Amino acid sequence: MTALVEAIDLKKTYMLGKVPVEAVRGVNMKVEAGDFVSILGPSGSGKSTMLNLIGALDKPTSGKLLIDGVDISKLNDNQLTDLRRRIGFVFQFFNLIPRLTALGNVELAMSIADVGKSERKQRAAKLLETVGLKDRINHKPAELSGGQQQRVAIARALANNPKFLLLDEPTGNIDSKTAAEVVGLLKKLNVENHVSIIMVTHDQNLAREANRTLEMFDGLLMSEGVNQQ
Amino acid sequence: MKTYDILGYSFSAIKLRKLRAALTTLGVIIGIAAIVALLSITQGLQVSITNDLNRGLSANTLIVVPGSNALGAVGGGGGSLGGGRAARTTGTSSINFGGTGAASSGFALYDNYTSQIDVLSPLINSSIAVVERGGYVDADGLNNPATFYGVDFSQYASQYPTTFVAASGTIPVNPTNNEIVVGTRVVDPRENGTILFSAGSNVGIVWTNATTLQIVNETYTAQVSGVLQKVGGFGFGGPSDNGVYIPMSQAQSFFGTTQCDYIIVQVKDSSNATISSVSKLITDHFDGQVTVISSTAVLSLLSTIFGTIQLFLGGIAAISLLVAGIGIMNIMIVSLIERTREIGILKALGMKSRTVLSIFLGESAIIGLIGALLGILSGWILANITARLLGSGAFGGTGFKVTPLLTPEVFIGSLAFGIGISVIFALYPAWRASKLKPVEALRYE
Repeated sequence: MTALVEAIDLKKTYMLGKVPVEAVRGVNMKVEAGDFVSILGPSGSGKSTMLNLIGALDKPTSGKLLIDGVDISKLNDNQLTDLRRRIGFVFQFFNLIPRLTALGNVELAMSIADVGKSERKQRAAKLLETVGLKDRINHKPAELSGGQQQRVAIARALANNPKFLLLDEPTGNIDSKTAAEVVGLLKKLNVENHVSIIMVTHDQNLAREANRTLEMFDGLLMSEGVNQQ
Repeated sequence: MKTYDILGYSFSAIKLRKLRAALTTLGVIIGIAAIVALLSITQGLQVSITNDLNRGLSANTLIVVPGSNALGAVGGGGGSLGGGRAARTTGTSSINFGGTGAASSGFALYDNYTSQIDVLSPLINSSIAVVERGGYVDADGLNNPATFYGVDFSQYASQYPTTFVAASGTIPVNPTNNEIVVGTRVVDPRENGTILFSAGSNVGIVWTNATTLQIVNETYTAQVSGVLQKVGGFGFGGPSDNGVYIPMSQAQSFFGTTQCDYIIVQVKDSSNATISSVSKLITDHFDGQVTVISSTAVLSLLSTIFGTIQLFLGGIAAISLLVAGIGIMNIMIVSLIERTREIGILKALGMKSRTVLSIFLGESAIIGLIGALLGILSGWILANITARLLGSGAFGGTGFKVTPLLTPEVFIGSLAFGIGISVIFALYPAWRASKLKPVEALRYE
C-alpha cells in the first residue's frame, strides 16, 4: 500500500546570502493514511523546512518526497498549487483573512478549488459546526478568541477534503486550556473522521498527544517513537 | 477560482481601505471628467458651428478671395475663419476672408471683375463683389460692434432672394449713399427684445481707419431703410444677422478703397463636378492668384480644425489620467507589501499565480470602472455648467450658445480609457504579487 507521505534521503539547502545552509540533511520517514504523527524538534532543527516540503510550499534540493505516491520534486508550480489544495494547512498564527467572516474564511478555501457557491456555503457551515463554532459563523477573526480562530483555521483546512492536515505549532499562540480543546478536536477528527494529521511542534507535551513522534535535530531525524495514549 | 469570486474578493479588499480607494478613484474621476468635459464641449461647439454654417451656406455658392492659399492661411495673416470680431459677437457671425492676405500677395480684386467671371462659364449664374469691414453702429451714443458689407443691393437681393429680405422697412433698389440695411442683431444686439433703433432711424456708422499714419475714427450718419428678417447661422458670403449693408459706392468711398474683398459666385448646381470645374476656370482666369472657396471645403477644414483641437485638449486631459495611473500603481505596490502574508496564505490554500494576478488587476479594474463612470458623470455636469456660463456671457461678450455633446464614442472611449489606464498601471504590482513564493510570503512580517 502506498504511504501517504514518504521521504527518501530528503535534503534541502537554503542560501543565506552567499552561505549555503543545510536545513534538512537526508531524512527518511513514512506517514501512513490515518496516522497522527508529530514532528518534534527545537528551533533550527529543520522541522519547519520539513513542514514546507510536505506542504508542497517548497521543493527539495535532492532526495525524494512522495505524497500519495507522487514525487513533488518533479512537479511544476501549477501542479504544486493543485497539490496544495489537497493538503489542509493549519498555521501557528491562524493566518485567517481578517476582513472575511469565519464562514467566509472557510468558503475561501473552497472557492479557490472552484466549489460552487451554494455547496460551499453549506459545507462551510457544517465544518464550522463540527469544530464547535456553529454560533460564530458570521464573526470576523478579530471578534473571535485565539482558540476559536484556530478552530476556524482547522475548519478551513478541512474544507476541500484534504489527504491530511498539516499543522504548524497549532497551540503555540493560545492558552493551555484552549490548547487542550484544540488537541481534543484534532484527536476526535483523527479517530472519528479518520483524518490523517502531521503536526510540527517544539512542545514535547503536545507532541506526545500524537500516535507517533518523529524527533528532529540539526536537519536529521534522530528518533521515532510510538506514544502511549 | 471563478470570475465572480475573484471580483468579489477584489471588491472586499477595496472595501477594507475605503478612504485610500476613494482617493485613488478620485484621481481617475478627475482625469476622465476633464476628458469628457473638454471633448463634449468642443464636440458640442463643432456641431453648433457646423449647423450654423450649414444654415448660412449655400451649397451652390463659391467665394473668390485674393491670394493663392487664402483658405490655408485661416487664422493667420490671410483669411480668418470666424476670427476677430466675428468670434466675439458669435452666433450670427460671418466668415471673413481676404484682408491682409490680399495685400501680401500683391493681387487685388475689383468689383468689375464680376463681369469677367459671369462670362467664364454657362454654369455660372451670377457674381457679386463685396467690401467687408468691421466697425461700430452708434445708436444714441451706444456703440455696438457690427460687420459692414458694401454690396449692390439689387444684385445681392437677387442672389439671396430668401434671406436678404426686409422684416421691416424696405430694401431700396437704388439706394442713396446714406441708406443702409441692417441685420436683426444690429438692432437687438443682446437678442433680448431691447430694440436700439428701427427702420427709418438715423444711426452713426463708425469705422476705425488704421490705414493712415494716424488712426482715426471715420463716421457718417446713415438712415436705416430696412431691418432684415432673422437669418440665423453664419453668413458665408450671404446675409448675416450682424451685418450692416451699405451701397457699394458709398462703402468704397467711406473705407477709402477701390478694391473689393471677395466675390460671391453663384453656380447653377451644387454638384462636385460643377463646383470643381467653375473653381478651376476662375483660378486659371486669375493665373492662380485667387482662391475659390466652397462650402464643402470650409466644412472639411472646420472638421480638421476641431479634430486637432479635440486631440490636443483630450491629450492634455489624458495627462491627468496618467498621473492617476501612477497613483494607482503606487497604491497597489503599498497594498502588495501590506498583503504579502495574505498572498502567502492564498497560495498555501492552493490559489494559482494567475488568480493572484487577476485579484490585483480586478481591484484596479473596479477602481477604474467606478472612477470612469463617476468621471463621465462629473465631466458631463461640468460641461453643462460651462455651457451655461458660456451662454450667459460669464466669460465676456454677449454669450455663446453651445450644447455639450456626449457621443457614444466619447462615453465608451472614456470608460475603456479609465479602466485601461488603471489596469495597465496595476500590471507591475499584480505581476509581482503573483510571483511571490508562498514560503517567503508566509514568513513576511
